[in-house]
Amino acid sequence: MTINEGEFVVIVGLSGAGKSTFIRSINRMVTPTDGELYVEDENILNLKGKDLRRLRTKVGMIFQNYNLVNRSSVFKNTISGRLGHTGTFRSIFNLYPKEDKLKAYENLKRVNIEKYIYQRADQLSGGQQQRVSIARVLTQDPKLILADEPVASLDPPTSHQVMQYLKRINKEDNITTIVNLHFIDMAMEYADRIIGMRDGEVVFDGPVSEVSEKTLKKSIIVRFAKMI
Amino acid sequence: MTEKNNKQNSNVYSLYPRKLKMQISAIFILIILFYFYSLSKTGSDFLLLLLDFPTIFNKLVSMFPPNWDYIPLAIDPLIETIQVAVVATTFSILICIPASLLAANTVTTNKFVYQATRTILNILRTIPDILLATIFVSLFGIGIIPGILALTIFSLGLLAKLLSESIETIDSKQLDAISSTGANKIQVIWYGVVPQVLPQFISYGLYVFELNVRASLVLGFVGAGGIGTIIDTQLNFLKYQNVMAILIVLLVAVIIIETISNMLRRRVV
Repeated sequence: MTINEGEFVVIVGLSGAGKSTFIRSINRMVTPTDGELYVEDENILNLKGKDLRRLRTKVGMIFQNYNLVNRSSVFKNTISGRLGHTGTFRSIFNLYPKEDKLKAYENLKRVNIEKYIYQRADQLSGGQQQRVSIARVLTQDPKLILADEPVASLDPPTSHQVMQYLKRINKEDNITTIVNLHFIDMAMEYADRIIGMRDGEVVFDGPVSEVSEKTLKKSIIVRFAKMI
Repeated sequence: MTEKNNKQNSNVYSLYPRKLKMQISAIFILIILFYFYSLSKTGSDFLLLLLDFPTIFNKLVSMFPPNWDYIPLAIDPLIETIQVAVVATTFSILICIPASLLAANTVTTNKFVYQATRTILNILRTIPDILLATIFVSLFGIGIIPGILALTIFSLGLLAKLLSESIETIDSKQLDAISSTGANKIQVIWYGVVPQVLPQFISYGLYVFELNVRASLVLGFVGAGGIGTIIDTQLNFLKYQNVMAILIVLLVAVIIIETISNMLRRRVV
């Protein structure tokens, strides 16, 4: 399977289908036991130490539970996207270059959260926290964004808002985006391409237009079957 | 309900099975017997204590009135005691940071390093501070250096244990997020671990400082300097009024220190 530059790919499937494992393999939060995985023509499965960190600076990640550092400010969380580009000493003493700080602020502005810049992250609502984590990823200047169930803990309107931000960033900055979702309707609305997974296998891979009534039904039937 | 009925259903009306009740009663009886055995073996007789009460009372009376003139003489050793506590706490805090990171499985993934550090810290904690002080006094001679060393080592074991346990309970997802940005280990610790444990860390530091003030007093009895040393000498000279004066100075100092550290703690936690 190849994911092309600038694509907005949504992976759908039930819990335990292997979506998270798939997405976390791409920045090596988990290591696949077998096979090959290329990011920008580099096999990443054997990367270690410095090379692994270099890969991670290129691949940004958004999490289901936002995973902001609760006790730190919104700005400190955002600027931590620069850690991979900043030396240890400079980052410990907060000696970031001015353009990095500006970049972090601009990214907070892009997701309309700049007025909370010095608030503690845990004082924000779920949707606001997820926007901060988008700003953190953007500050990283990634080539690729991975979003692991980014809206699973949010209510429907907030979910759409977060998905719209992701989509807009994908289009405006041409950043390849891979999102895990379990709502097929939301996947249909935002994706360029959909990958369906079941029991660790890819069972569907194609553009949204090819997702037919039949495949939909099949996935719904599967969903009911699993629920029973 | 007749008595007969009651008996038949007795295991229904009881919350515990009869066997368990019997076992627990037997254990209690054994423990009480052991108390009496220990009392008679060690010759500690409560009746004798009561009969001795007038002597005890006389001794207490002989402590009053406290010899207020002695207070200025107690100030210097008191300051020395506090200095020992400050220095020992500072050293142990500095050393405990790397030690507790190595002894926390959320940060140290290497099993061998993790277990080795834990074992060393456990051994440190089992040695009583007064024993450490006695050893160091015999090695370095009487003075405050052995006191500082003993307290540093003792509070290092305690502090590293407390801190490593709070590092183990932090939210590791926040660390995942930091390392997903390509941060190295030190950056992950600084940006992910430190914000999460800082309040507890400060609180533990203050607690260990209070503990060290009291401990350095006891260490004075084995010659490790400070106010304990003068209490020891005054007791030996049977100058009970002087001892009382020292105790009052001490009480005031301890209350002041604990008030300040409680105020600090409330600010950060």
